[in-house]
Amino acid sequence: MTLLVGSFTMGLILSLLALGVLISFRVLSFRDLTVDGSITLGGSVAAILLASGWNPWLATLLAFFAGALAGTTTGILATRFQINGLLAGILVMTGLYSVNLRVMGKSNLPLMKESTLVTFAQSFATADAKWTFGRWEVSVQDICVVVMIAGLITSVALLMYAFFRTNLGLAMRAAGDNDQMIRALGVEVGWMLTFGLALSNALVALAGALLVQYQGFADVQMGIGMVVWGFASVIIGESLVGSRQIGLLLVGAVMGSILFRLLVAIALRWGLNPNDLKLVTALFVFGALVLPEAIAHLRKRIATT
Amino acid sequence: MLEIENIAKTFHAGTPNEVRALRGVSLKIEPGSFVIVIGTNGSGKSTLLNAVAGSFIVDTGRINLKGHEITRWPEHRRAQFIGRVFQNPFSGTAPSMTIAENLALAAKRGRNRGLGWALGSSVKTDLYDRVRAMGLGLEDRLDTAIGSLSGGQRQSLTLLMAGLLKPDLLLLDEHTAALDPKSADQVIRLTEEMIRRDKLTTMMVTHSMPQAANLGDRLIMMVQGRILHDFQGAEKQRLAPEDLLARFEEVRCSEQLDETAADMLSRQYV
Ligand SMILES: Nc1ncnc2c1ncn2[C@@H]1O[C@H](COP(=O)(O)OP(=O)(O)O)[C@@H](O)[C@H]1O
Ligand SMILES: [Mg+2]
Repeated sequence: MTLLVGSFTMGLILSLLALGVLISFRVLSFRDLTVDGSITLGGSVAAILLASGWNPWLATLLAFFAGALAGTTTGILATRFQINGLLAGILVMTGLYSVNLRVMGKSNLPLMKESTLVTFAQSFATADAKWTFGRWEVSVQDICVVVMIAGLITSVALLMYAFFRTNLGLAMRAAGDNDQMIRALGVEVGWMLTFGLALSNALVALAGALLVQYQGFADVQMGIGMVVWGFASVIIGESLVGSRQIGLLLVGAVMGSILFRLLVAIALRWGLNPNDLKLVTALFVFGALVLPEAIAHLRKRIATT
Repeated sequence: MLEIENIAKTFHAGTPNEVRALRGVSLKIEPGSFVIVIGTNGSGKSTLLNAVAGSFIVDTGRINLKGHEITRWPEHRRAQFIGRVFQNPFSGTAPSMTIAENLALAAKRGRNRGLGWALGSSVKTDLYDRVRAMGLGLEDRLDTAIGSLSGGQRQSLTLLMAGLLKPDLLLLDEHTAALDPKSADQVIRLTEEMIRRDKLTTMMVTHSMPQAANLGDRLIMMVQGRILHDFQGAEKQRLAPEDLLARFEEVRCSEQLDETAADMLSRQYV
């Protein structure tokens, strides 16, 4: 049961990553690889500030803005300097590795006695308080953490939903959907893309900030392969809600992230070697990207013969 | 309204693919006039419209619109004055967004877009009325993704979007060429109504000789990046489709001459 609650919480935290990737990957149609670096950036900024005794809300907020800065950089490289989008993301991601080491001062930063958002949530219950459901026992502190994070994710998702219905949000969606059209309607697409990438990476960094507070440490390697996690969550989410409507996409990304994390927990329980996890994730995303097209192609071939 | 002074544009300059798409075009368009643009394929009609809209910056020459020297303005900045409909019905709308959302985007053409609701109730009722006035029965489908509509419906909506804020200049580039005859007629009817009602200054490229003869109060014919003929006033009104075809035949003959010459050369060298 503890394992289940743990995976669920991780899934919730990483749904911020999924929401961020949703903005770049689906809304802007931009394959942004900055993510691996910006989630670590969020983690290291939050960790170092917490370690030096900052208020956890403030530390988390600053991590958010650090992510926005990373996204802005990728956006500027891709639009002002006309660098290929994938390459722009890779450049920033690579640069961020050093930045993250600089921020933390070392490759791993444990958070032992620091007060964090997680300890804040836990403070609403005693350490040995338990709730029992039949044969299952759940720590009330764990529940408090889940409730706080779920509340945070819900507010973020609602804010995003509201934003994408404003004039500015509509223009951002249009920039990813049909840039020729929106340029003819007076929107500078490069700026819109940069702004969207800032928002996307800010959310990703927020995920990183929560992640280190939940795990109790920041590690310079923690971002490796995270962008693929994000893709996987978004893709699963889409098939869950079966729609490209923005509200449903947001719900789907959150659900996709949680479901994916639970699937991974089950696979690990069944004996999947954790070292193989990234390969399996990559294969999964490969399949999800290629299969629909392959099936459509096959259908056409069958129909024509 | 629009003053074009000797503009030129060469694509892929200095490469084997060099195309001199515009070779010195000058044109002055009065407010409220409706200019038809015809010409052979590749004669530079679209390039002329794109130059005005700012899809690229011209190599030489100047463009003045409504008293603003816009020659070096980027496309998005010119959009405050210009409404456009493209040849491809898919180019003018955002497919995954709804009809209402697309219209709301157009309702802010060239203006600041802030954090106000895009589809407040007053905007919504206004858009509903506008769509109903088109008479296509789309007013009850405002929340449908625009990508699920037919090319004709999308093009009609693109037209509505281009005219929503009464642009100072309306640019139509063969906007009925990709449609079936029935939809094309419908879009042309809507175009005429809108231009007449709002007295829009318009440049319309068309491949259809009946359209070219019947619509507009001025007609220019382009050949090889230049304006060859410019018919105005009574002269334009007298033009019949046959006259236009005859002009095209002249052009084709002279171009054929060039072709046979090129043929001869290639035979000598190969
Ligand atoms: N963006 C572009 N890049 C390269 N060549 C172009 C571009 N736009 C137009 N051309 C070329 O310029 C010439 C004129 O094209 P266009 O203006 O589209 O002709 P049309 O009169 O048929 O609309 C053509 O040879 C075309 O291939
Ligand atoms: Mg053309």
